Amino acid sequence: MAAVEALVRVEGHPCVVVDRVEMRFKVPSTEALAADVQKRGLARRLKRRPHTVTVRALNELSLVVERGESVGIIGRNGSGKSTLMKLISGQLRATSGSVLASSTPVMLGVNAALVPDLSGDQNVVLGCLAMGLARPEIDSRFDKIVELSGLEKAIYLPMKSYSSGMSSRLRFAIAASLDPEILLVDEALNTGDAQFSDRSKQRMDELRAQAGCVLLVSHSLGTITDMCTRTLWLDKGDLIMDGDPEEAVKAYKDFTSHLSKGNNISAARIRSEARANLVATEIRERTSGRRKGAL
Amino acid sequence: MSPKKTTLPEPAAVQPLAVNTRKLSRVGARPGFLDYLVQLWDYRHFVFYDARARVLNGTRRDRLGSAWLILNPILNGLTYYVIFGLLLHTNRGIENFLGYLVVGIFMFQLSAGAITSGARSVHNSKSVVQAFNFPRATLVIGANLRELLMGVPMILAMLLIIIVLPPAESITWRWILILPAIALQFVFNLGVGLILARIVSRVHDVTHLIPFGMRAWMYGSAIFYSYDRFITHPQILALVKINPLFNVIDIVRNCLLYDTLPAWRSWGILSAWALGALAIGIVFFWRGEETYGRS
Repeated sequence: MAAVEALVRVEGHPCVVVDRVEMRFKVPSTEALAADVQKRGLARRLKRRPHTVTVRALNELSLVVERGESVGIIGRNGSGKSTLMKLISGQLRATSGSVLASSTPVMLGVNAALVPDLSGDQNVVLGCLAMGLARPEIDSRFDKIVELSGLEKAIYLPMKSYSSGMSSRLRFAIAASLDPEILLVDEALNTGDAQFSDRSKQRMDELRAQAGCVLLVSHSLGTITDMCTRTLWLDKGDLIMDGDPEEAVKAYKDFTSHLSKGNNISAARIRSEARANLVATEIRERTSGRRKGAL
Repeated sequence: MSPKKTTLPEPAAVQPLAVNTRKLSRVGARPGFLDYLVQLWDYRHFVFYDARARVLNGTRRDRLGSAWLILNPILNGLTYYVIFGLLLHTNRGIENFLGYLVVGIFMFQLSAGAITSGARSVHNSKSVVQAFNFPRATLVIGANLRELLMGVPMILAMLLIIIVLPPAESITWRWILILPAIALQFVFNLGVGLILARIVSRVHDVTHLIPFGMRAWMYGSAIFYSYDRFITHPQILALVKINPLFNVIDIVRNCLLYDTLPAWRSWGILSAWALGALAIGIVFFWRGEETYGRS
């Protein structure tokens, strides 16, 4: 068992508190089915159930993000980065544990799907209304959204006629029209052409300057060191490192370069060393007062 | 091969953090019932815009466009007229059978369409649900409103048929009474839609049962036969008489065709169904608020 440090009081009100969150998915697997294919007969075929396996997307994790922090999240594919973001934004509900936030987090991603039958401008209004904006606010932001999306006249065409780059630009522009207190960004900067990425980066900087806190998932390590004040390294659903961006990115780069050279053992050692130095967080609730929306 | 998870060491230490969570709320938490109703009211512009945009776009793919909103029920009515009026002679003993049939089909269609699309609304809007945080009941309300808007030309067509085709009926002040009847019908459809929407989002198989249910309901609503002539079994007759849709149709027929004031009993039964369905529906739907759009 790890040593327990002295209790530290977090002053003020943090933006995001992730308390012992864990995420498991039960999904069907065709692995066993493929082995069954030789079996004949109706009875056997009916008996054959899809095998389900449990995928542990995120192991127990606690985290406190304070106002003014921008937290970068790095890790290999399937390490649980996007799962963590979806848990914080409320798109997924944790298998156990809970996520608390000072206001509704807004996710800037490319996943926010809209209504394909409606035209781009109708989707702008609809998306803004769905985010809780009032009509006059939307009218005043409309031009900025269209400008940011770079769609020009194509904004009046149905969304289903858009290329995937066009629709992800529009989604980004709609989501970026809010000035959220808690901003979650999942790879949104990597879509679109060079012209769009300049514009979107500029908007991102504005948002980051205004937001209370930012959580950013990116495979671009340069973005992480440029933008973040703190970095988490996740691997296979486990938190490996939590600290200074330069250090975390350096350790992660070391790890991946050993892996790509095939040095699995030395890569595992780097990861183990990082993990062994990790100071995990445990949340203790300080107030006995009633919390809004608690169950 | 990647490094094994079992080799991962324990974190060096656990740092307990005392966090003041009084001003934080759980992400994605279901609001209290009254808060939920207030939120629904705040999102009314979203509901209206969504409904209007989808009605206008719904028939854009067809050459005849919005004319289909009227042509559909007319063709439907014509089919039933040929089968039940000309071939099976269920029209015996019914004064103005054409009007009787048209009112029955058009009014039933209003409910059938609204209940079916209300039931599917949450499941069909999965992408919007996952992208934005808004009270999910707005989707069901939007679907019902959409059907009501599409019903307006249908009702006008119905009135036109009754005035123009022989035996032509004359317009009386009682025609006004169809408005409260349609309002109560809308409330009833919404309530049933809310109940079914939660069930469908949980067990999608139910969507396959809805068309069968609607068909059985249609035969039980005395649309193309006279109920006192064809139903001899007293219990079944009693069942037909408390059927809310039969009461809607009966009220409208009495107002438009037979120039008689609908019985208070009909209004009473219809109001009880409408308010009861809405009350149960909204509470039932609200209790599942956190589960929609999550797999």
